[in-house]
Amino acid sequence: MFKRRPLQSKSEIWMRNIAMGFLIIYMTIFLIVPVIIVVAGSFHQWNPLNQTYNWIGLDNYIRMFSYPTFWQSMANTVIFCVVVVIFRVLLGLAIAYALNSKLMKHKTLFRTIFYMPTVTPLVAVAYVWKIMYNPQFGLIDNIFGLDINWLYDSRFALIALMVMTIWKDFGYAVILFLSGLLSLPSDCYESASIDGANAWQTFRYITLPLLKPTMLFVVVTSIISYLQAYVPVLVMTTGGPGTSTYLSSYLVYDQAFKQYNFGFASAISLFILVLTAIFTVISFKVTGANEN
Amino acid sequence: MKRLLAICLSFILLLSLAGCAGRDSEADTAAGGVQDTQADKGLDVMGENVTYDPNHLVNNGDPISIDWWVWASEDMFRSIAEAYEEIHPNVTINVINNPWDGFFTKLPLALQREEEGPTLFNVHNSYENLLLNYMEPYDIDTEELTADYPSASTHLMDGKIYYMDYGLSTGMYYYNKDLWEEAGLTDDDIPKTWDEFIEVAQKLTKFDENGNMIQAGYNYNNYFNSTVIGLNYQFGDNLFSADGKTSLVDSDGMKEAVSFLIDLYEKYQVGDKDFGTNYDQSFYQGQSAIVFAWGFFVGNLAANAPDINYGTFEIPTSDGGTPYAYYRYNGESTPGINKNATDAQKEVAQDFIRFFLASDEVQIRLSAEGGLIPAKTALMEAPELKDTPIVRTVGPHIDRYIWPGAMPSTVENNMKIAGEDILYNGKDAADALKTAADTIDIDLANADFTSSESLYAYYEE
Repeated sequence: MFKRRPLQSKSEIWMRNIAMGFLIIYMTIFLIVPVIIVVAGSFHQWNPLNQTYNWIGLDNYIRMFSYPTFWQSMANTVIFCVVVVIFRVLLGLAIAYALNSKLMKHKTLFRTIFYMPTVTPLVAVAYVWKIMYNPQFGLIDNIFGLDINWLYDSRFALIALMVMTIWKDFGYAVILFLSGLLSLPSDCYESASIDGANAWQTFRYITLPLLKPTMLFVVVTSIISYLQAYVPVLVMTTGGPGTSTYLSSYLVYDQAFKQYNFGFASAISLFILVLTAIFTVISFKVTGANEN
Repeated sequence: MKRLLAICLSFILLLSLAGCAGRDSEADTAAGGVQDTQADKGLDVMGENVTYDPNHLVNNGDPISIDWWVWASEDMFRSIAEAYEEIHPNVTINVINNPWDGFFTKLPLALQREEEGPTLFNVHNSYENLLLNYMEPYDIDTEELTADYPSASTHLMDGKIYYMDYGLSTGMYYYNKDLWEEAGLTDDDIPKTWDEFIEVAQKLTKFDENGNMIQAGYNYNNYFNSTVIGLNYQFGDNLFSADGKTSLVDSDGMKEAVSFLIDLYEKYQVGDKDFGTNYDQSFYQGQSAIVFAWGFFVGNLAANAPDINYGTFEIPTSDGGTPYAYYRYNGESTPGINKNATDAQKEVAQDFIRFFLASDEVQIRLSAEGGLIPAKTALMEAPELKDTPIVRTVGPHIDRYIWPGAMPSTVENNMKIAGEDILYNGKDAADALKTAADTIDIDLANADFTSSESLYAYYEE
């Protein structure tokens, strides 16, 4: 068991106090104060641009729960998160496994290629995909011989956003899974080989269980980041057609910066914050239980 | 060697950080101005009622710089600023272009920085409620203003004017003359009724051998909301209730207007929601023969598709006669003045606004390039403007267009959602419009909006 070493010198104590002081100031300014402002704002008709700030009690929350677009955005967010995370994990794991194989050549090249979308700016990627989805001259309809107005058809618009997001983000999962695979102990594989396990059995009973912490990390961080996703919506569909691609974070953006209902947007933000917090706690519990 | 490299990189980083540091452009350029000592410049006094005598010094002739925020037509506004700077060489006006998206979020925040915010800024009346708190009233007699600009009376607030219209804009149809001719149509075929409109639009629509559309007769994609808001007047209903406080976007008249636009695509097949997802781009490409757009489209065509040979015609009516109202119009607003600017900056800004309003040359340029009907009475018959598309097309009937008031952006935003729900999501029009009306009414109550429809001369008809 790790034993805590007492601080030995005044300079160490000073260093600790300074570091902690900065951290506390940073967290207070950029986290605690904004959250307090949002909590207070959610009980007001609030528009900081024309300095309106009128107490309205729970009206914003009452409106939120009776606002159809809110529920639609929550449903879209759940679908978006589940589908994108599943594909991100599956693709990431499959490609990482392939890259880790002894049969694979030019590993660095492929690793770079798969990681490139991740480091490309999201706005640029979204614009390019928007052009690719164009029904008249877009690459996708032309290559596959389709006649689909991807971004203006509510049956396909959310799917189109999800496909773009999966393409953009799977490289991150590849790198994480690859580093996880490289760190797995080789003796387990040697034992499995001696015991006559085939490739699938080795993957199913050795690789997958050992990769569980990495997978949990990928899933949890992905869900948290997709709960906050709004840039693809802003660039590609602006929530349309109608409200069919509103995600919860885009609804917050729309209410705050297009409709100037900052109070209402604050109420929605708080709801998302609580959801994220609950999800994070659950994931920590699950991770902790697994580690134990 | 490594240490040397590290020092060089650190130096470059410091330099780049210094380059990124915020700076006050007004303060910086003030130092570079020229002292003006000549009050009498031998120039003529401009204007009739609102007059501008250039033969004076502003800011005592001392160098001064002000910022002017605009969201479009940067070159045009810069040339106006330069015309003023020519008269007053001690003044520097920095025209700063900020994109429309986010303009009305950034502007109030900049104005909250008081004198560090822009001294002058362009205004769109749908965002009036965000800006009024920061605006200084014009230091010009309101009777003089209304004598030259009659529509200024609609902008009176407690006897003061904070901004007003320099031009009026509305919607009209733009058609591609080459495609028109190719379809065997002539000037005599310019439609006066909706039936005639459908007929010509059908003639202009082309399909390939597989039945796929290759040319739309009429395209309103991505402009449905802006098109339909105002069309309701022709179908018997106003946009707002009699007290001007609640919307009527779910009225029977609006439902009929929506239904008519949908029929154009689905029943008469003169266009398609999936053909040319943006009406303007499709028109630029010569793929759509007719589009509906406001006066600004004149400038857009000049900038983006100068080779398109186009004409314009007025919005048709059901029987070709004079309707209750053809459509709605809106004003293009004069710049606002930052009330928290320094006294010297405000003095320059007030002087500039007087120049802006009194100079016919400035007003003619604004109307010609902006696709506007001039709000200044004296310019209604100006030879430079009588042949502009909007004056020629809409000018004779402009009294039959309604100004619904400084309509908050929620109306357009929610009608966009309703339009897409109807057009793309197959939602029932009555339900979609009801949802829009409910949301708009909540926002209107918060914005303290009252419609100006009741001021329309034929309101009682």
